[in-house]
Amino acid sequence: MSEKLDALIDIVVTGKMKLAKDATQACLDDGIDAKTIIFEGLSKAMAIVGDKYAAKQYFLPQVLLSANTLYQGLNLCLPLLQGDGSASKGTVVIAVVEGDVHDIGKNIVKAMLTGLGLNVVDLGKDVPIKDIIASAQENNASIIAESTLMTPTLAGMKQCEADLKENGLKGKIKTMIGGGATSKEFAEQIGADGWSYDAVEASHLAASILGIQ
Amino acid sequence: MRKEPLDRPPVAVFTQSATIGQMDAVGCAWPEAHSDAKMMAKLGAAQATVFGFEAVRSSFCLTAEAERLGCNVDPGKKDRTPMLKKHPFNFDPMSDVYDEPNLMDPEEFLKGGRPAVIIEATRLMADEYGKEYPVIAGNTGPFTLAGHMVSTENLVFGIMMNPEEVHKWIAAVNPIVKAYSQALSDAGADIIQMSEPSSSTDLLSPDMFTEYSGNYVKDSLACVKDAYSVLHICGDTSAILPLMADTGVTGCSIEEKVDSAEAVKINNGRVALVGNIGVVHPLLQGTPEDCAAAAKRIAAAGFNIVSPGCGLSALIADENLRAVVKAIKG
Repeated sequence: MSEKLDALIDIVVTGKMKLAKDATQACLDDGIDAKTIIFEGLSKAMAIVGDKYAAKQYFLPQVLLSANTLYQGLNLCLPLLQGDGSASKGTVVIAVVEGDVHDIGKNIVKAMLTGLGLNVVDLGKDVPIKDIIASAQENNASIIAESTLMTPTLAGMKQCEADLKENGLKGKIKTMIGGGATSKEFAEQIGADGWSYDAVEASHLAASILGIQ
Repeated sequence: MRKEPLDRPPVAVFTQSATIGQMDAVGCAWPEAHSDAKMMAKLGAAQATVFGFEAVRSSFCLTAEAERLGCNVDPGKKDRTPMLKKHPFNFDPMSDVYDEPNLMDPEEFLKGGRPAVIIEATRLMADEYGKEYPVIAGNTGPFTLAGHMVSTENLVFGIMMNPEEVHKWIAAVNPIVKAYSQALSDAGADIIQMSEPSSSTDLLSPDMFTEYSGNYVKDSLACVKDAYSVLHICGDTSAILPLMADTGVTGCSIEEKVDSAEAVKINNGRVALVGNIGVVHPLLQGTPEDCAAAAKRIAAAGFNIVSPGCGLSALIADENLRAVVKAIKG
């Protein structure tokens, strides 16, 4: 492992946002290709951040800082991957369902999934189910990830499962849900393919759905 | 609230209390009841008049203050609380751009919008129900309100990037929060229940709590005159429960993410403990038996007041709420 890549990992983990671009450039200058930087560097860094979050050493503020540091590096690397079919390990469409605007948790899940090396299409908050499904089809997504903190919007998640089924997409596009109003039991009840308690669990869940390590 | 030994704890909804069942029973519904004092008083009393809970409570959401201060709010529906659509101020730690907190002064704040409706509803409730029940008035905590003004995510991120700007905003909203808490007490509320969800450990690390939330709550809530003060925070509060008590409040209202017995142990008799029946489980998705069992377990653990751990979902079934009351009152 290159020293420069180790330095980049450390920068993302400790959230030294202003150093991230230069550190990523230094890796590229050293001849490390963008794909390696993403999967051996940035992904690894976010996995460490996830571990620290799970161990309650990190909380949301530290994760936000690391996530924004991650994006600094990714913004440099992603354009270099254009046309490289093996670059993405899969596409996830993510959204907060219609009726809710609480999106911090969704943004952290997005960062963790991006860190996993997935292509994440973020539809934002308060998004109608039909738009989520349309985007998933359009982007050839493997996973729809939905979140909500508000109980009235749980009906939307149920609707999503029904609509997928009706369109013959159930099983082809997997679904994972999360957020304060959801639970494992609820996920099972509506037939979602998975539920996760937090962003770290969500990245493990997505990895297991897609069969990646 | 005085932590006196009783043969059983009181049972009351300290957080958002309205449900569809209550709306239908008293003929006042959301969204109208959010901005009509008479309807709010009637619906806010329904937890007692319909189900037999032992308190009445004004206000059903945490958007009234933010709306008064310029946030764009979707009024919601019968089954859905209002939600913030837009934050009026720019606070962007990425590009280092921060608006100045130019807010209306506290006196002006109290005179109009939904805060004035809630003050009036509290007054009506104190007149009509105050002799029989304690009147709870709910409001929004300083860190949460500051987040509503500038986006909570940006505010939390700001702690890592530019703490001074974060403090500037919380310090700017806190005199308003303080004046509002006192106005609710002056209107006849016996208990001010301040919700500060954005300082939960889901958003702030425990070592940030006192600096960014607790110290401000100390000033705006714990000092309220002629009313008890209850601080409500969602999530797993086990790490911050002692810090919540350090603010000087009379009581702490917490969610089921802390085991009830564990919470009693951590609290060690310092403040009145209010909670912590799960709102989704068992109230929304469980059976009446599940709800009764949770209420009994919490009473046995030694909570001073048995209450839901967070704002009720409007979709919770009548029989589940009745089961909670029956489990405690017999």
